Amino acid sequence: MLANIASFSVPKRGSAQQECEDSTWVGPDGLGAGEFDINRLRIVVADGASESLLAGRWARRLTSTFGTGKSSTRAKPNFIATYNTAVDAWAKEMDEYEVEREERGSPIQWYEEPGLAKGAHSTVVVVEIFDGKQGIPPFWRAAAIGDSCVFQVRNEELVASFPIQEEEAFSFSPSLLSSRGGENDVIRRHIGLTGGAWDHEDSFYIVTDALAAWFLRIARNGGHPWEPLRDMNTVDFDLDFESWVNAQRDAGDMHDDDTTLVRVDLY
Amino acid sequence: MQDQIGSGEGQRKCDVVADALNRLLFELGIKCAKEEGVRDYFYVSVIGYGINVAPALAGPLAGRELVPLSEIAASPARLETRSKKVPDGAGGLVDQEVKFPVWVDPVANGGTPMSGALNRAQSIVSTWLMDHPGCFPPVVLNLTDGESTDGDPSFPADSIRQLSSSDGPALLFNLHVSSDSSAAISFPDSEEALANQFARTLFNISSTLPDGMRTYTQQQGIPVSDGTRGFVFNADVTSIIQFLDIGTRASDLR
Repeated sequence: MLANIASFSVPKRGSAQQECEDSTWVGPDGLGAGEFDINRLRIVVADGASESLLAGRWARRLTSTFGTGKSSTRAKPNFIATYNTAVDAWAKEMDEYEVEREERGSPIQWYEEPGLAKGAHSTVVVVEIFDGKQGIPPFWRAAAIGDSCVFQVRNEELVASFPIQEEEAFSFSPSLLSSRGGENDVIRRHIGLTGGAWDHEDSFYIVTDALAAWFLRIARNGGHPWEPLRDMNTVDFDLDFESWVNAQRDAGDMHDDDTTLVRVDLY
Repeated sequence: MQDQIGSGEGQRKCDVVADALNRLLFELGIKCAKEEGVRDYFYVSVIGYGINVAPALAGPLAGRELVPLSEIAASPARLETRSKKVPDGAGGLVDQEVKFPVWVDPVANGGTPMSGALNRAQSIVSTWLMDHPGCFPPVVLNLTDGESTDGDPSFPADSIRQLSSSDGPALLFNLHVSSDSSAAISFPDSEEALANQFARTLFNISSTLPDGMRTYTQQQGIPVSDGTRGFVFNADVTSIIQFLDIGTRASDLR
């Protein structure tokens, strides 16, 4: 299959790009942008919780682990195993982090200690797109915890919305993966799995919550939210992603939050 | 705002008020902590009122009227070590030492010029709103024993509540620390259960909780109604920090 991929990210107002706590991993190499001729594609988007310390770092740990690990969209035990790998790696990363802070002369401060003890939190959505082979038609699968979303658009219609279908379902308290790990049975209850067929010329939009809520509201009102996203970064659109997001924020149509879009056009 | 309450017999109310204020700033700093710093999601003004009405931060920030939160976090007057009960992993509790920053010290001064303090707060909020018309609605938190000695606080309180940003009206919340033995009350929706006239006055000048805060209060197991107000009587006031939305709340899966 041919996949044309573009990724965009903008922090909440007043924050620098390096303070953005969204993270993306797009296969095959994690950097994913441009045109690829491949038989399977993986995209991971994570959104670190604003009230969580080191949330961006944890989101990056999740995207890299889910991006490079075994497929986690087939079944919940696969997802949990990959998550536990990330938790183990995080514990080691935090030990090194505290040592590095001490050595740098910037030891952990009182306001960081409770957050470090509480752990970091993030959503994650993993999308895998497979080419057809040996009589099996092309298909895709996704797994998610939280409110980062994937939308599938075909022939000017929204044909799949996962894991959230309604704008009203967004809140300040989505399900989150903790860097401290959790009980497998509890995690299992919160994992969403989905999948389906795809056709050539379908598009997938993998987005974090502020853009997802905007997307679903426009779609519910009969609009085509994919139109500006489809044209983003092309000669058909005057605004860059940051300017466009700021325009939606100014109009009161989009929550001021770190905002990420990964667009995948399939041929 | 902090009333430098005149201390009487028994428990020192000024200690209770100063401790509540320090814990508020502590929780706010933790809420906005990010890697190697605290984000300036809030600016903080601490006004004490006793002999006079004046900025009340101690230490390096003494005399400052409006301070970005990152500076508050970086410059407490001192760091104390306190003992905190934490789970021991075997079903029990164990003492753990934690750092506790102190920004405000108890001051036992006569007089409670609450109206003057509310007027000062109104002036600070009004100036802030001119520069930040689209901000999260400013929150004025009045910590006191409620016995205003410079007139009816209702009028300056009204003038605070009448201010607004494009996001909603300014909010006035009150914490009443009393030495009487009445039961603690958090976020009531009527004055009926309040033991004295001072508490009822403070209830009546408190803002009703906006929808989001009312929902959060309900989630904490406190019954709410459309009349629920930002008023706490002899109870923990730090939950007010959890009212402030800065984005996705972090909690473990259940």
